[in-house]
Amino acid sequence: MTPDRADRADGAPLPVVLTLSESELAGDAAALDAAWRDRPGLWGWLTAVDHKSIGRRYIITAFLMFLAGGIEAALMRAQLARPENTLLGPDRYNQIFTTHGTTMMFLFAVPMMTAMGLYFVPLMVGARTVAFPRLNAFGYWTYVVGVVFLYVSLFANTGPDAGWFAYVPLSGPQYSPGHRVDVWAQVVTFTEIAALCAAVNVIVTVFKMRAPGMSLNRIPLFVWAQLVVAFMIVFAMPAVATGSTLMLATDRAVNMHWFNPAEGGDALLWQHMFWFFGHPEVYIIFLPALGMITPIVETFCRRPVFGYTAIVMANITTAFFAFGLWVHHMFATPIPELGESLFTAASMVIAIPTGVQIFCWIATMWLGRARLTVPMLFVLGFIFTFVNGGITGVMLASVAFDKQAHDTFFVVAHLHYVLLGGGVMPLFGAFYFWFPKVTGRILNATLGKVHFWLFLIGVNVTFFPMHILGLEGMPRRVYTYLAPTGWGPLNLVASIGAVTIALSVLVFLINAIRSWTHGEPAGENPWDSSGLEWAVPSPPPSYNFLHSPVVRSRHPLWDTDVELPVVTGLRTDRKEVLITSTFDAMPDSRHSSPEPSIWPAYLALCMGVVFIGSIFSPYYVLGGLGLSMIGLFGWGWQSSKRIESELVAVPNGAMVERA
Amino acid sequence: MKPLRPTADAAALPSVTFGQRSMMWWGTLGFMTIEGWTIALLVAAYLYLRQNYVAWPPLRTPNPSLLIPTINLALMLVSIVPVWITARAAARLDTAAVKRWLVLTCIIELPILVLRWWELWALNTRWDTTAYGSAAWTIVGFHTSLLLFDVLDTYGLTLFYFLRRQPVKTFSDTADNSFYWYFTIGIWIPIYLIVYVGPRIA
Repeated sequence: MTPDRADRADGAPLPVVLTLSESELAGDAAALDAAWRDRPGLWGWLTAVDHKSIGRRYIITAFLMFLAGGIEAALMRAQLARPENTLLGPDRYNQIFTTHGTTMMFLFAVPMMTAMGLYFVPLMVGARTVAFPRLNAFGYWTYVVGVVFLYVSLFANTGPDAGWFAYVPLSGPQYSPGHRVDVWAQVVTFTEIAALCAAVNVIVTVFKMRAPGMSLNRIPLFVWAQLVVAFMIVFAMPAVATGSTLMLATDRAVNMHWFNPAEGGDALLWQHMFWFFGHPEVYIIFLPALGMITPIVETFCRRPVFGYTAIVMANITTAFFAFGLWVHHMFATPIPELGESLFTAASMVIAIPTGVQIFCWIATMWLGRARLTVPMLFVLGFIFTFVNGGITGVMLASVAFDKQAHDTFFVVAHLHYVLLGGGVMPLFGAFYFWFPKVTGRILNATLGKVHFWLFLIGVNVTFFPMHILGLEGMPRRVYTYLAPTGWGPLNLVASIGAVTIALSVLVFLINAIRSWTHGEPAGENPWDSSGLEWAVPSPPPSYNFLHSPVVRSRHPLWDTDVELPVVTGLRTDRKEVLITSTFDAMPDSRHSSPEPSIWPAYLALCMGVVFIGSIFSPYYVLGGLGLSMIGLFGWGWQSSKRIESELVAVPNGAMVERA
Repeated sequence: MKPLRPTADAAALPSVTFGQRSMMWWGTLGFMTIEGWTIALLVAAYLYLRQNYVAWPPLRTPNPSLLIPTINLALMLVSIVPVWITARAAARLDTAAVKRWLVLTCIIELPILVLRWWELWALNTRWDTTAYGSAAWTIVGFHTSLLLFDVLDTYGLTLFYFLRRQPVKTFSDTADNSFYWYFTIGIWIPIYLIVYVGPRIA
């Protein structure tokens, strides 16, 4: 390990400590735990900044949202199971399908994928925490405010009812009086803020906190996917935040005219703003899921993935193309023909990088010795289901076909094949794979197989018939249909499929709860996997790594023989993290990491006052901003606490010690 | 657990760094990107709405006034000087100079914020008259929120320096505060040209 000499004032290499005794190691662990552990009790819970506590909460909250969205889906399927059913009236049905879409996209899928990153990225890059632990907590609490707001509103019969993409003019002040659409617009704001905080955190963690030696070409593929997605979030989320908060909400609250054609506004502008976010959103969900597949395939095929560089390039290419196809959601609007051709081409081209990734995994399975464990079953289920969804996506990229299928159940079938196949299946695989790391116990494999088969069958039985229903002309978002349409039998089949999905999720829940308390103890590395997250105990201690690991290959645990090389010398009496250079990951500095803090939760509440209050009166906005001043001051004051001595690298290269 | 083999000792590495060696600099850059991109999207929407009108500004709306915005732009450009000197003083860890120049920065930043109020009215239209008014108000309004946040950050930092002796890390944060100010002013230049000057030449 040669540190970057240019980073040192005297140009000398870092000294090497040759041995550490057992007692030194044990002493370090106790001191580190005292420094890094969140405080106990309710206060400790509110002030927690450990990325694992926040990540775990995020994952559990997002999973609860998956269940809530699932219950809404079940209600819709119950309503549609036979013609002219009266279980849900049109108004209730509108609220349910809008809340289902909003929940699944904004409160389950994106938060779940970012949460997996916030939990695992630091562990995978060998860091003690994320770059900005308080920002992380703030993001989580902001998200919780959004969750609570949506569901309180739904139960108060004020649930949003204009669809998850809230098209104007339907969602505008004229056609949606009352506060239902306002709820939607602000829920979106909360989840956008949370996602942006997570994205900045992931980017800086990956750029500055990688283990020494983890150069760009050694970053684990899950981390690469999270990094690419973080960049996508930075460029996609502002579009919908602008559209919903600065345009739609202001049109509704203070009579702006963004979307009012009578005053020069433009309804299509909303579709551009929404889909410029909305299409990359699909890949924001999908790329992290693909990132989860690689370690699973590598581990259970016992070989490095085929085509590492190709997969990284495919991720980056997908991210670029994802921003160039939003107009394919708007083929039914009057857009120029040249535009249609361009977006058709782009929509087809994006299938190529995804195909590259799938072929890389198939090659890995081909060349390795695949073991059909539960995570691997989900990977195979992903390939089967997702490829089907991808193919209907290529069909929909054709304008002529799209105009026929637009707003029919064909689109519903397509998007659920893509999202359940491409997002949820890898996610379930990842749950089975990493559950031992998070909880210290292994999920039961027999129940896991029952879960997998029920889920695979359920997804296909539910959504395959919808292709046919769509081709037969059944529009989406109708609360019922007449018997002579002949859509009854296929709808019943789809509803039976939905019951099967519900059963599969129930099996998973029972398995998770039972295994968390009574499962087989996992140990450190139950699958003999290669990533750094498996080098720490399960569940990981508060400080993650006793000493910062040093990485010399893409598979640190497979390629180091007996001993794990580490960098020593970080403080054990207070929180300190190792910062490395951006490209080569050479040790550069040590930064202190913040203590537990109430200000993130407080500021998230203030944001709640600002954005929820903005629906009712501008005075709430001013009041909320005033209250957040206290929070910002507290936050800054906590950061500016003196520490006993600091070794400073001033920009001219000199090193100064300040007591 | 695999036995650990120490290969290097990090104790001699610095605990405070400046610029792109520090995490906060990267975090600031991240939020600048998000905010800059939001402004870019708003400007794109402004130009998109332009296509819906024959005349711009529409319906006999007067052009935006230039006097106050131009004075404020000049003030903003001048403000870069003390902000830059503050960053340099912070890099030298010179507490006295940082305090002095932060106070001066506070003095010059305040009128910029106050003038912003008249700058909004210099648009010569209201947000609820036409889509043109909505777009212009939103762009300038959003930039005002960035300006307000940065001014508050500067005031908070200055207060901290006077309330208690600051850790050296605060010097690095002070340099990042300057970095953010360059962005806030830099991004205003195209807004000034598009929103205030643009209608006269469009």
